[in-house]
Amino acid sequence: MIRNYIKTAFRSLMKNKGFTIINVLGLALGLATCLLIVFYVFDELSYDRYNEKADRIYRVNDDIKFGGNTNSYAVSPAPMAAAMKADFPEIEQIVRFRGKGGNQVKKGNQNIEEDMMIYADPSVFDVFTLPMISGSPTTALTEPHTIVITEQIAQKYFNKTNVVGQVLTFNDTAQYKITGVIKNIPHQSHFHFDFFISMSTLAESRDIAWLSSNFNTYILLKPGTDYKKLEAKFDAFYKKHAGPQLEDILHLNFAKFEQGGNYIRINLIPVKKIHLYSNRVAEFDANGNIDYVYIFSAIAIFILLIACVNFMNLSTARSSNRAREVGVRKVLGSARKYLIAQFLTESIIVTLLGAVIAVFAAWALLPLFNQMSGKELIITPHIVSWLIPALFIIIIVIGCLAGSYPALFLSGFNPIDVLKGKLANGFKGGLLRSFLVVFQFAISIFLIIGTLVIYNQLKFIQNKDLGYNRDHVLTVGNIGALGNSANTFKQEVKQIAGVTDASLSEALPTWDYGNGTTLFKDQAPDQKRALNTQFWGIDEDYINTLGMKIIKGRNFSKEMLTDSTGLIINEAAAKVLAFSNPIDQKLYAPTDNMVKNLKAYHIVGVIKDFNFKSLRLNVTPLVFRLDGGRGAFCVRVNSANIPALLAQIKKSWSGVAPNYQFDYSFLDQQFDSLYRSEQRIGTIVIAFTSLAIIIACLGLFGLAAYAAEQRTKEIGIRKILGANMSTIVGMLSKDFIGLVAIAIAIASPLAWWAMKQWLEGFAYRQNIQWWELALAGIAAVFIAFITISFQSIRAALTNPVKSLRSE
Amino acid sequence: MIKITNLEKFYRTEEVETIALNKLSIEVKTGEFVAIMGPSGCGKSTLLNILGMLDDPDEGSYVFNGIEVAHFTERKRADLRKHNIGFVFQSFNLIDELTVFENVELPLIYTGVPSSERVKRVEEVLDKMQIMHRRNHYPQQLSGGQQQRVAIARAVVNKPKLILADEPTGNLDSSNGNDVMELLTDLNEQGTTIIMVTHSEHDARYSHRIIRLLDGQTVMENIMI
Repeated sequence: MIRNYIKTAFRSLMKNKGFTIINVLGLALGLATCLLIVFYVFDELSYDRYNEKADRIYRVNDDIKFGGNTNSYAVSPAPMAAAMKADFPEIEQIVRFRGKGGNQVKKGNQNIEEDMMIYADPSVFDVFTLPMISGSPTTALTEPHTIVITEQIAQKYFNKTNVVGQVLTFNDTAQYKITGVIKNIPHQSHFHFDFFISMSTLAESRDIAWLSSNFNTYILLKPGTDYKKLEAKFDAFYKKHAGPQLEDILHLNFAKFEQGGNYIRINLIPVKKIHLYSNRVAEFDANGNIDYVYIFSAIAIFILLIACVNFMNLSTARSSNRAREVGVRKVLGSARKYLIAQFLTESIIVTLLGAVIAVFAAWALLPLFNQMSGKELIITPHIVSWLIPALFIIIIVIGCLAGSYPALFLSGFNPIDVLKGKLANGFKGGLLRSFLVVFQFAISIFLIIGTLVIYNQLKFIQNKDLGYNRDHVLTVGNIGALGNSANTFKQEVKQIAGVTDASLSEALPTWDYGNGTTLFKDQAPDQKRALNTQFWGIDEDYINTLGMKIIKGRNFSKEMLTDSTGLIINEAAAKVLAFSNPIDQKLYAPTDNMVKNLKAYHIVGVIKDFNFKSLRLNVTPLVFRLDGGRGAFCVRVNSANIPALLAQIKKSWSGVAPNYQFDYSFLDQQFDSLYRSEQRIGTIVIAFTSLAIIIACLGLFGLAAYAAEQRTKEIGIRKILGANMSTIVGMLSKDFIGLVAIAIAIASPLAWWAMKQWLEGFAYRQNIQWWELALAGIAAVFIAFITISFQSIRAALTNPVKSLRSE
Repeated sequence: MIKITNLEKFYRTEEVETIALNKLSIEVKTGEFVAIMGPSGCGKSTLLNILGMLDDPDEGSYVFNGIEVAHFTERKRADLRKHNIGFVFQSFNLIDELTVFENVELPLIYTGVPSSERVKRVEEVLDKMQIMHRRNHYPQQLSGGQQQRVAIARAVVNKPKLILADEPTGNLDSSNGNDVMELLTDLNEQGTTIIMVTHSEHDARYSHRIIRLLDGQTVMENIMI
């Protein structure tokens, strides 16, 4: 029986090559896209699961509202870890990380910039699964100035991995003894450090300030602990430890602090959720976003549905051609269930062919997809081990789903009617078919609108006036290595022709995390008269170099000696401070973490707000003080010959820092990198949308071909009666275009609503334009029309004698 | 009205070349009623298609109303056709999705007759064919004889000079068949030229002249009456 099914299925498929190709290709495209998305989604969901104790690891977060600002931090105070371990027996182990900026690491005579560095407590190896291939996890990182590196770094600097006992030199000065080599950290990790320096090296790690948060702290709970219950104890815990300091510094207790509408809340996030759910200040890496996982999964399902709909549509449309076969089989004694099995066999064979092509297509497209998504997806034996059974199930499910309607529909024919030719016109009564076409196109139009809105928003961000001029600004990295020569370097660079201005500062607007502090209006830390703000040291050239605009008062000046205690505030800060005239008003800044001493400053100017965070967020208060700092060096250039200019700047660099690599980048590129993940998402969505539309059009193409075929006789009669080609094409297109119009009416409001939700995530957004909806509609009609015309024109050109002769 | 000279038409399949018309020459004068007879495969339908400008000959000349149309473009033929020729088929070839009225109206739409004029002319011709009461029915709701009357109505609504009929009674019983033949005779008496392909000697007797074809050639012409 099965052999007969398969034989008939194959012959039927071969006989209708056009339909078979459309079905197989559509399903293959749909499945290939799905596979890629499945790989992507699984990759996103697998973050940090390499940790054997992942289910018990949590990161401690701080949510702080103070001084008019609300902030969510991924970092905690230095003394918190030890206090937690002492207070809560349910905590098995705890580890702190403290960020360390990039450093130049010596290899031979060369210094190489390395960014992936972190200070870590020795317990890091108890909490995280970082297998050590050389050295001892229990003793590594206990001594100051010891370091654990990854395999790839060992290979890079020593060409071998057995390097315990060797020494690495940072910035030509600091020396670290290697006490361990660990395996490279998996790609699916929310951190990717290559250098773990012992925490004891860092004096700040012994700090006792509870009101300053700089340490990413992770706890390992004992098995069976409910983290929510633990979290509930944190409020009392924090008040117990931080209370005395709060009283000491701000002269108020927590009750009063909270009465002022302020809060400090400590909470936990499971490590497995960090990658997709956490987007706080001081994350280690730019994390993913669960929204995109949902969006992609939805697209995958939609695309698969569109492909299935194609199959259902074409099969039922073709039914009249199969009706005779059904009739004959029934007359010869075939029961309905055998016919259903017959048609399901056919659809499963089509799905199987599609799936085989899809697997190869997905495999071939993976490098391209990786490039687009910035991922490093690979097909491992592990993936294959679940993929093959999964595909098997998918083939059966989709085969049955896609084949179910045609199977039930065709097998239900009454053989007498069929053989008398009463069901000759299989295209009529295609209400379900119309519904499915509307469904397909509604999805496609939804995706087109979504794509347009995303594209437009990204463009809007790129072109938005940020309040500073990011074009033609060069930044030089690792300026800290210059020490006191930094100023010499700056002066030399300013002399170079083609350099308009140059500035030394602590931070740049494209940096994610500047320096935060709390300023007070009085020489007493009164929380009601406080301003929680970014506090950056800049020199007098900063504002000009970056093209910022002073709207009140003046810039810092070297001539004014009192400017050493001068401040320039942004509009957002001015708004919180609410002075009637901020110029010459005094502000007091703590000089240490404990807020023991306050230093008096006075405001000399106000600058126009500029965006120094992601445009997802509003501009927050920012205060500049005059202090060149050594964090950043930026140069405004005005030269057509950038390479020559770079060569000159590099020459100056080599003069002051012969042993250090010259490292530069452009500010606009740094800005773009802030939105790289959005841009990637945008590219992927556009690619998938195009695929969805192609698949939908494949179906429409087949359907139009079928409609034309069904109406051959009618077209012939009309032509004999004098109809010309445009009349015929119009007649054939009208029905489908009507369906597409209904799809537009359904999809537009839905897409408008959904994209509005997405845009809410941006503080600065381009509202959805009416033309985006109109354009999507016109595009859909146009695409549908082109697809249909291809068939209708062919039908209209056929000699009517041929179509009528078959009578 | 029609003069064909040395007309040739071949059909080729992958292996065989069939000669459908072999140096055929025929003349039909305005106002004539001609029947074409012959066994299956003698080329009757091919001839009718070429006369109806639905197909073009491979060789030879076809002069219609003094115009050589043998090698006209498709567009020109279509134009000439829709103004001058009406068709009646054995299987009626009505459009199932359209009502009687709409079926008859079609040729007028395609020749660009204004709407009010169309209604007038369709009603006139439906009246003449005595199927006015069926104007809003669909073809499947009519008997074969009624369907063929609709088809004839459609063929004549544009007042063509020539009607080509391909076995117009083939699908009808004898009584309905006779009615159709009477209709055609009436039309011919009012001045329309009619060329009819038929298998039926009975039907052929309604014509003025019978042209008998065999293997694409004229074997005999009998003048009736």
